[in-house]
Amino acid sequence: MTTTTLTKSSTKGAGQARFNSRRLIDLLSHLYIWFCLLLFVAPFLALFNYSLQQGTSGIYTLSNYSYIFGSFTNNLLTSLRVSALAISINLLITLPAAYALVRYEFPGKPLLLSAVTLPLYTPAPVLGLGLVLTYNFSYGLITSIWGLVFAMVVGTFPLMLIPIVVALKDLPLVFEEAALCLGATRWQTYFKIVLPLIGPGVSAGILLCFIIVFNEYLVTLFVAPPSVQTAPLRVFNLVRTAGIQNTTAALAAFMQIVSFTAVILFFRLFGSRYLKGTYLI
Amino acid sequence: MTSEVSPVRATELGKAVGAGSRFRRWRPALLLLPSILVVLLFLFYPLAFILLMSFTLKESFLSPAGSVYTWQNYIDLLSRYAPNVWVTVKLAGLAALVDLIFGFPFAYILVRKIRYRDLVRGFMVFPMFGALYIAFGMRFILLPGGWLSPLFDLLGLQGVQILYGLPSVVFAMAIFTFPFMVMNIGAALSNVDPILEEASICLGAKSWQTFWRVLLPLTRSGVIAGLLMCFGWNVGAFAEPLLLGSLAEQRALAWTLYQRGVVQLDYGLGAAIGVILMLLAFTVNYTSLRYSRGALVQ
Amino acid sequence: MSRVRLVNISKHYGPTLAVDQVNLDVVEGEFVTLLGPSGCGKTTTLRMIAGLIEPTTGQILFDDQEVTNLPPNGRNIGFVFQTPALFPHMSVADNIGFGLSVKGRPKPEINAKINEMLKLVDLAGYHDRLPRQLSGGQQQRVALARVLATNPRVLLFDEPLSALDRNLRETLKYNILDLQRRTGKTAIYVTHDQSEAFAISDRIAVMNQGRIEQLGSQTDIYLHPQSDFVAEFIGANNRLDGRILEGGSGERTAVQAGALTLQCPMRPDLKAGDTVAAYIRPEDIAVLKNDDHNYRNVFEGAVEQIIFEGSVAQLRVAVAGQTFRVDVSGTERLQLLNHRGQIQLGFNEVTLIPIQQAQ
Repeated sequence: MTTTTLTKSSTKGAGQARFNSRRLIDLLSHLYIWFCLLLFVAPFLALFNYSLQQGTSGIYTLSNYSYIFGSFTNNLLTSLRVSALAISINLLITLPAAYALVRYEFPGKPLLLSAVTLPLYTPAPVLGLGLVLTYNFSYGLITSIWGLVFAMVVGTFPLMLIPIVVALKDLPLVFEEAALCLGATRWQTYFKIVLPLIGPGVSAGILLCFIIVFNEYLVTLFVAPPSVQTAPLRVFNLVRTAGIQNTTAALAAFMQIVSFTAVILFFRLFGSRYLKGTYLI
Repeated sequence: MTSEVSPVRATELGKAVGAGSRFRRWRPALLLLPSILVVLLFLFYPLAFILLMSFTLKESFLSPAGSVYTWQNYIDLLSRYAPNVWVTVKLAGLAALVDLIFGFPFAYILVRKIRYRDLVRGFMVFPMFGALYIAFGMRFILLPGGWLSPLFDLLGLQGVQILYGLPSVVFAMAIFTFPFMVMNIGAALSNVDPILEEASICLGAKSWQTFWRVLLPLTRSGVIAGLLMCFGWNVGAFAEPLLLGSLAEQRALAWTLYQRGVVQLDYGLGAAIGVILMLLAFTVNYTSLRYSRGALVQ
Repeated sequence: MSRVRLVNISKHYGPTLAVDQVNLDVVEGEFVTLLGPSGCGKTTTLRMIAGLIEPTTGQILFDDQEVTNLPPNGRNIGFVFQTPALFPHMSVADNIGFGLSVKGRPKPEINAKINEMLKLVDLAGYHDRLPRQLSGGQQQRVALARVLATNPRVLLFDEPLSALDRNLRETLKYNILDLQRRTGKTAIYVTHDQSEAFAISDRIAVMNQGRIEQLGSQTDIYLHPQSDFVAEFIGANNRLDGRILEGGSGERTAVQAGALTLQCPMRPDLKAGDTVAAYIRPEDIAVLKNDDHNYRNVFEGAVEQIIFEGSVAQLRVAVAGQTFRVDVSGTERLQLLNHRGQIQLGFNEVTLIPIQQAQ
C-alpha cells in the first residue's frame, strides 16, 4: 500500500515538475519577445519621453509639439508634398509595369525583375552621390524639388511594385476573361475589375512608399536643394548642429507616430496579408 | 478540367485576339516603358556616372583642362582608407552577428510559440522608419541622465564611453536590420516541420543538440540569407556611426563618402567609395537571394 | 442566335498540336457538346470560338461574319466558366448588369434586364447579395443570368458543372437545357462527363487528341461508333480483335477472334482478310437459361466475378481465353447473384471497326 502511494506521488511530482518547467520556458519565451520588442521601441520611447519635457526637468508638457507645428510646419508640409508626389508618380509607373510583368510573357523577365529591384540593394549614400552628380552635371535638376521626388521614386519603386505584382498574381485570370466575354474593353476590364480587386495590394505599396519617403533623410541630404528641407532632414541637421533638443525630439517622435498610425490603420483595414515579402513581414 | 490550357492562360489573355493587332506585340514593352525609363535615368545612369567618376582625380572633372584619369582613388582606398573599409565591414558584420544571436530565438519563438504575431509585427515596424531615429533615440538612452545611466553607474562605467563607441553603433545597426533577420529565419523555420524537433527529442537529444544538429542545418539557408541581408543593409550606415560612434567608427565609408565626396568636392574619391559600397552591398544582397527561398517575393 | 462554323481550325503550341483541323457546323439554336477526355482539345476549341485563344490556322464564322480576328468583347458571346467567376466586389445585380453597363446602356434598361434575368434563374430578390453569400449552385445560376443579360449570339459552356456536387449537377444540367430551349440560343458545351453530354445535347462531337472523332446524335455515337476510341470512350464495351473470314454474304459475315467465331453484320467497306476490332456492349449480351432463343452467337463461359451495382449486375465471364463483361438488369439480375460456375451467353449486336494495318 505504502509503496503504491509513494510511486503515485513521485510520478505526480515528476509530472508536475515537467509541467512547471514547460510553463517556465513558455514564460521566458514571452518575456524574451517582449524584451526584444521593447528594444525596438526604446529609441522611440526615449525620444517621446524627452519630447514631452523641457530640458530634463521632468515636467511633462505638450509645448514642444505646439512648437513644431509653429516652426517646423514648412518642413512637415514639404515632407508631405514630396511623399504625395513620389507616391503618385510611383503609382503611374508601377501599375502598368506590374500588369505587364504578370500577364504577359516575354524574354528576359528575370533579368528585368533584377534590374528593377536594384534600388533596394543600392546603399543610400551611393544613390545620393550618383544623383547629385547627375543632377548637377547632366540633368540640371539640382535646384528643383523634382530632383528629390525622382530620387524617392527610384528608391521606393520596387517597394511599390512587389505588393502589386503579388496581388495581381493572386487575381484569377478568369475574372478578366469573364469581363472580356461580357463585352468590356481592356480598359474597362482594368478599371472596373482588376484595379478594385488589387486595391489592398496597391494600398500596401502606397503605405510602404509613404513610410520610406516620409522618413527619408539620407538621399535627401545629398540631393535636396536648400529650399527643400523635409522634416527628417531638419531633424538630422538640428541634431548635428544644435545637439539634443526637446523640440527636435518632438519632431522626430511626431514623424514616427504618424508613420506608426499609418501602419496600424493599414493593418486594421487590410490585415497583414498584403505586406508579405516586404520588409515588414 | 481546363488543365490542358492552364500553363499558357496568362500569356493567352495577353495575346487575346485583339483589335490593333499591330500594337499588340508591343503592349508589354509600352507598359514597362515608364518604369524602365525612370530606372535607367535615375539609377543606372547615376551609377554609371559614379563608376566613371571613380577613375578621375579629385575634382578634375570640373576643371577646364578636363578629367584626369587614374587608379589613384582605388589605391588610396586600399591603403590610406583601408581602415575605413575595414571599419565598415567590421561594423556591418558585427551587427549581422548580433542580429543572428538575438534574432534566431526571436524568430523561433515567433514562429513556434506565440499567437499574437500581428501585434509583434506592428512593433517590428519601428526600425523601418529609419536608422536616424534609432541612433537619435539611443543617444538619449545612453547619455548621462538617460535611462541606462543608473545601470552604468552600478557597473562603474562611464556613460560617455559607452555612448560614443563601437557597442552602441553596432547595437543601433543591429536594431535597424533585426526585422530582416527575423523574416529570413522565420521563413526558413516555418518550412521545418515541428515534428522533426519532436522526433529528435523523443530519440533522446537534449535541446541544444536538437538545435545544433536538426534545426540549424535545416534553417541554414535562412540564416545565411539573413546574415547577408543584414550585412548588406548596414554597409551604408550613416547616422549610427555619426551620432553614436567615436572617431574610429566615424571612419565608416558612408560618412567618408559624404565628407570627402560632397563636402570637400573630391568627386573622384567619393565616387570610388561609392563603387566599393555598391559592390559590397550588391554582391552580398544578391547572394542572399539565393538562400532566402521565399522570404522575399521573386 | 447564330450559326457557328469552324473551318479547318488548328492550334499549335510550339511543337504540340492541341487542335488538329477541326471542322464543325452548328446550326442556329442547336445544342452541341464537345465530349472527350482531358487534353483532347475541347476546351481549347471552345476558347478559340470565344476569342480567348487565337487559332494558328483556320476560320471561325458566326452566320456569315468571320470573327476569327475579333476579340471576345466584339463577338457578342456568352461564356460560362468552370467556376462562376462572379466579380467578388460587386453585388448580384451589378454582376448581372455588367455586360449592359459597359456598353453604356441607360440605367432603367439595365435594371429591367436584371429583374428579368433574376426571375429567369429563379433568384428574384437576390439583387443586393454578394457572391460570397451565395452557394455554389446559386453562383452558377447568377453566372448564367449574367451572360444571358447581354443577349449573346452564342452560348459557350466550359464544364460549368464539374465543380458542383452530384445532386446539384443533376438539377442545374436541366436548368441549362431549359434556358437554352427557352431563349433559343445556339449553345456549345464542353464536358468530359458522358451522361451530362447525353442528357442535354442535340448533337455530340467526340474529341480525341485534337480531332473530332465522330459527330452525331446520342444514338449515332452509342450504337454506331466509327472509331475504336469512340467505341471505348462512350459507355462500356467488350473488344475482340480478329480477322474477317471468307465466305460472307453481302449482309453478314464472320470474324475469327482468337478461339471465337463471331457472326455479325457486314460493313460495305470491309472485305475478307481485314483485321477488325469487334465490339459487343455488355447490355447486349444475354444470359441464356435454355435453348429457347434466337441469338446467332452463343458461347459458354466461366463466371469469374459478379458485382452488384444496384440497378445492374455486372458479370465477368471467361470465354475461350477472353473476359467478357456482361450487364444484366431487371429482375433477372437478382437471380444471378449467387451463380457459380458455367454460364451460357448469347448476343447479336456486334460492331466492327477496322484496325489500321500499318502500325
